[in-house]
This record gives sequence, structure tokens and C-alpha cells, in this order.
Amino acid sequence: MTVTDQDLVRHLSEAAVSIELQTPEMTLNIGPQHPSTHGVLRLVAQVDGERTHNVQPVIGYMHRGYEKLAEVRNYAQITTLINRIDWVSGYANEVPFIVATEKLMQLEVPERAQYIRLILTEMARISSHLVFMASYPLELGAATPLFFALRDRERVLDLLESVTGGRFHPNFNRIGGVKPNAGAGSTQRKVSQDLPKTFLGETKAAMDKVLESADEIEDLVAGNEIILARTKGIGVIPSDVAASFGLSGPNLRASGVNFDLRKVSDYLPYSKFEFNVPVGENGDCWDRWYLRLLEIRESARIIQQAVDSIPSGPLQAKVPKIFKVPKGEVYVRAENPKGEMGYYIVSDGGLGPYRVKIRSASFSNISILPWLLEGAIIPDIIAVMGSLDFVLGDVDR
Amino acid sequence: MTTSPSEAPAEAPAEEDTTEAASPLADLANEIAGSIAGTAEVNFETAKVRVDPDRWVEALTAARDEHGLLFFSWLSAVDWRNEVAVGDKLTSEVEERYELLAAVSDLTEGRLVIYSTNLDRDKPTIASLTAVYPGANWHEREAAEMFGIDFLGHPQLEKLYLPEGFLGNPLRKSFPLLSREVKPWPGMVDVEGMPGQADEEEPAAEDAEA
Repeated sequence: MTVTDQDLVRHLSEAAVSIELQTPEMTLNIGPQHPSTHGVLRLVAQVDGERTHNVQPVIGYMHRGYEKLAEVRNYAQITTLINRIDWVSGYANEVPFIVATEKLMQLEVPERAQYIRLILTEMARISSHLVFMASYPLELGAATPLFFALRDRERVLDLLESVTGGRFHPNFNRIGGVKPNAGAGSTQRKVSQDLPKTFLGETKAAMDKVLESADEIEDLVAGNEIILARTKGIGVIPSDVAASFGLSGPNLRASGVNFDLRKVSDYLPYSKFEFNVPVGENGDCWDRWYLRLLEIRESARIIQQAVDSIPSGPLQAKVPKIFKVPKGEVYVRAENPKGEMGYYIVSDGGLGPYRVKIRSASFSNISILPWLLEGAIIPDIIAVMGSLDFVLGDVDR
Repeated sequence: MTTSPSEAPAEAPAEEDTTEAASPLADLANEIAGSIAGTAEVNFETAKVRVDPDRWVEALTAARDEHGLLFFSWLSAVDWRNEVAVGDKLTSEVEERYELLAAVSDLTEGRLVIYSTNLDRDKPTIASLTAVYPGANWHEREAAEMFGIDFLGHPQLEKLYLPEGFLGNPLRKSFPLLSREVKPWPGMVDVEGMPGQADEEEPAAEDAEA
């Protein structure tokens, strides 16, 4: 509920407070450890009574220097690092980097490999959004949705694991395709060089379940008056402000901007599938939550179409065992669950890149916090911060 | 950056970058370059416009107001050096400099243009973009601490990731990577295959963590 200054004054006068109130400004420190931050983030806010101003996020607790580390690795080794940027959707992090490298090498990736990438990327999106479905109500005091959302996330992660062998850090992409001997937990070379036999059927069934439980979660949360009161009209971001701060993904679309890299770029064959891009109206916390729920449904639809139409064929283009990447500079960006993730690669023709710039979504997404929390009331800090759905690994890199 | 390959490196196709034929992106890049006396190139579907450092803010203001590039994607730099403390040396000599990059995009067709300008190798200084794109604030703070670039007019040029008082600029090519000084290639142990499998398995070097 929004508490206006008039409400506070009325409340205080009704309580017959006769002394003159003094509200000296004080500094409120939140974090670095706080349940609503997925990782380690600290906020330093000046508060005057219930109002905050000059909120400064303090980041860097998880800075691992991946851009520097990438300079001493070859291209294939870097995927291991970048899996760990946004660990809630580790698979999706790999894709733009691999696509960028393939672009420099001018490789044609087999269609089946592209479809597998697309299916797994959408699974990463569903699992990332389900974490948000779970954690955001929890931050506002509703614990139940957590169990529904995480139950379904587990279904998706099981499938991801059956193909890649990893739940969080699949490290499954190879330059020119995907890992050819797909399969979990194998120490022996697999006879089968493809997806697990039951994978496609199980995926379709799991997506039906995901669609069902999306309805369940909507029932559970969208009718909850407390959640609506705490999120509707709170933390409003106008579309022009969102763009100039570099907000991307669901946070940008919640503000009414119809922009999705899956529709305008060809890093994966999204143009072959039918799906909608949900767009919000008000740019408030509620829109940011609800839009991600709608995106889960669209992702499930994409996966079902891809499973139906996946072509057969090889999983790998012909690539030499030790390869050099030709000289050049390339930037490839992708619509990741958290927003635009991109890699700017400078290659000098060697085994490894001369420089890699990692553009991560959460970094830009939370840089709007000082603007957004100016004049907010203290309980709204958590509601606003949580609605941006950031992961500190994605902020700090 | 050597992994001591077990076989001779395959010949990479020797290929010269040639600016790609006309496309909506190339048209936009050429139009922008024409209006700001810069040069445009489009390689691998990546458009880059080189501008003079004195016209940096002017160029990005025009990007936002005239060319519809409303979305601020990122800002960073490349340290072009002939002597490097980490990674491979460049294969050919370059003019030593910092190349500052700012990527901005429209929000309709997804055309992204990277603005580029060269900064002095000894004292890199440039005007801040924070008044044009507020999103540049953190990106400039990062570039300032990582490369030692001074952004004039930035409202709060403090350390972002690094602790206060940290010495040096980690993403400069002259800044050594300590883990590699101690142990040149920690992944080396992982490369050895299981007995009897050594020839069949592909090198597992990608599992190495520093």
C-alpha cells in the first residue's frame, strides 16, 4: 500500500502526539547479505523518516574478473567461465558467446544443433522465470508460491540435466554445434551420439505441466490482495527512462516497449516459430512480475513447436581440433531471461581472444536503482529491488 | 595463452575483412558517419562508427536525438598495446592507444551501432556521457577503474567493483594476472586423459578453472 505523507501526518495526529517530531536524516545500511538479493549486494540509503533518498547500491562483492580471465584462455575454455555469470540461467549465457565465435569463423551450424540450443535456451528462461515467480512473492511475505514454482523448475532442470549433464552449469555448447556425445553422467564414450531417446517426448509432457502450473501460480498470486497492493503502482519506470538506463528484457517490456531480440535478430532460429511478446502497460512492479509469467507460457509454446519440428542430422559442424579464430571484431547479443546479454570479441587471429567485453543484463538493470528509489518508502525498497529480477553474478561478472 | 596443442594448429582461413554490402545497418552507419565526419565499417553484422574524441558527446547526443538510438547497451574500452603482460601479443604492431566503445541501439528493428574513439595512451581523458544516457554512469565508472580513463564531468567517478584504494587498472594489458604468474597453466593436469583413453578423448582443457 502506498503511504503518503498525509497518511502519516493523520496517523500521528490521531495518536495525539503532542511533542514536536524531529526527523534527522540517518543512514540505513541494507546488506551485503540480505534474503532478497540473489548474491551479495549492499544498499546504503539516506532516510528521512520513512522516505529514502540517495540510495547507493554497493556492488563488486562477487567480481571475478571474467573479462581479464578470458584473455588468457582459448575460445572453447571460456564457455566454462561464462556459465557462471548468471547462474540461474547458465545455459543461456553460453549461446551469444558461441554464436559470436562462429560468426568470426564463418561456420554454418547444423540445424538440429540450433534447434537443441533453442530448446535449452527456452528451458533456461522458464527455470529462471520460475525462480522469480518463487522468490518475489517470498520477498513480499508470501511463502507458498515458492513450493509450486520450484517444483516445476525441477522438472525443467531434470530435462536440462538429462541432455547436458549439468543442472546449473551445462557447458554444453561447442563451437560449431553442441556436445556430440550428449548424455548425463557418462564416463564411457556413448554409443548414441544424440539426445537421450526419451527426451523429446518427456519435454512435451513437461511443458504441458509447466503450462498447467503457470495457471496455478497465477491463481495463487494474481488474486492476492496484499501482493497487488504492494506491487501495483509501485516502482514505476517510464519507457524512455528505462531505455536510457539500458534496461532490457522483461524490465524494458514491462514499461511498454515492444522489443525482443528473438524477434529482430537471428542468433537462433526463432523466426520459424509462432510466439507473442508480452508487453506491460504501467511499468510497475506488478507488470514486471506478471509479464514474466506470460513469458513462461510463450517459452513453453516455443519449446513444444520446436520439439514437433526438430530436424534430424548432425550435431556438429566440421571444426578442426585446435582452431584459430580469424582476425576481427564482433558483437552478438541475445535475449536472455534477464535481458540483453552480449559479447564483444576482439580477435587477433590467435587461439584466444585479445579482449572480451561482457554485456550483462543485470548490471544495467540495477543501475537504475538510485533513480527508482529516490523518495520511496522503506518497505518499498525490497518490493522494487526484487521486481528487477537480478542475479549478482550477472551484475558483477 | 598457450595450451601446447598435441597436433599442429589447423590453418585458419586467411581472410581480410571487407565492409559488407549494403544493408539497413550499413546504411545507418554510413549516414551517422557522414553527419559527424567519422568513418563507418560493418563487419560480421557489427556496425562501428569511428568519431573524433572531441565530438564524442556530440555524436552520442545525435545518436539519441536524430538517429533514434534510444537504448544504451554498454560502454567499455580496448587497450591496444604492443607489449602485454597477459595473453598473446598482437601479431602486428599497432598504434598504442585506448579505444573507447559505446554501443547504442534502436528499439524497433534492433540495429545496434558501436561508437568508437581513440584516447591518448598515456593520459586517456574524455567527456562523460552521463548527461546524454544516464545508463552510462556505471559503465564509465567501470571503465575508469579498469582502464584508468578519466571521464570529465562524471558526477561520481568512484570505484565501482574494486575496493577504495586499489592500485592499478586491472584490464590494462600491462596489469599482470597473478594466478598465471604463480602457475603458468593450472589446467595442464586436467589435460591428461585416463590410461588407455588418451588418444581417443578430446583434450578436456575447457574444464580448467584458474
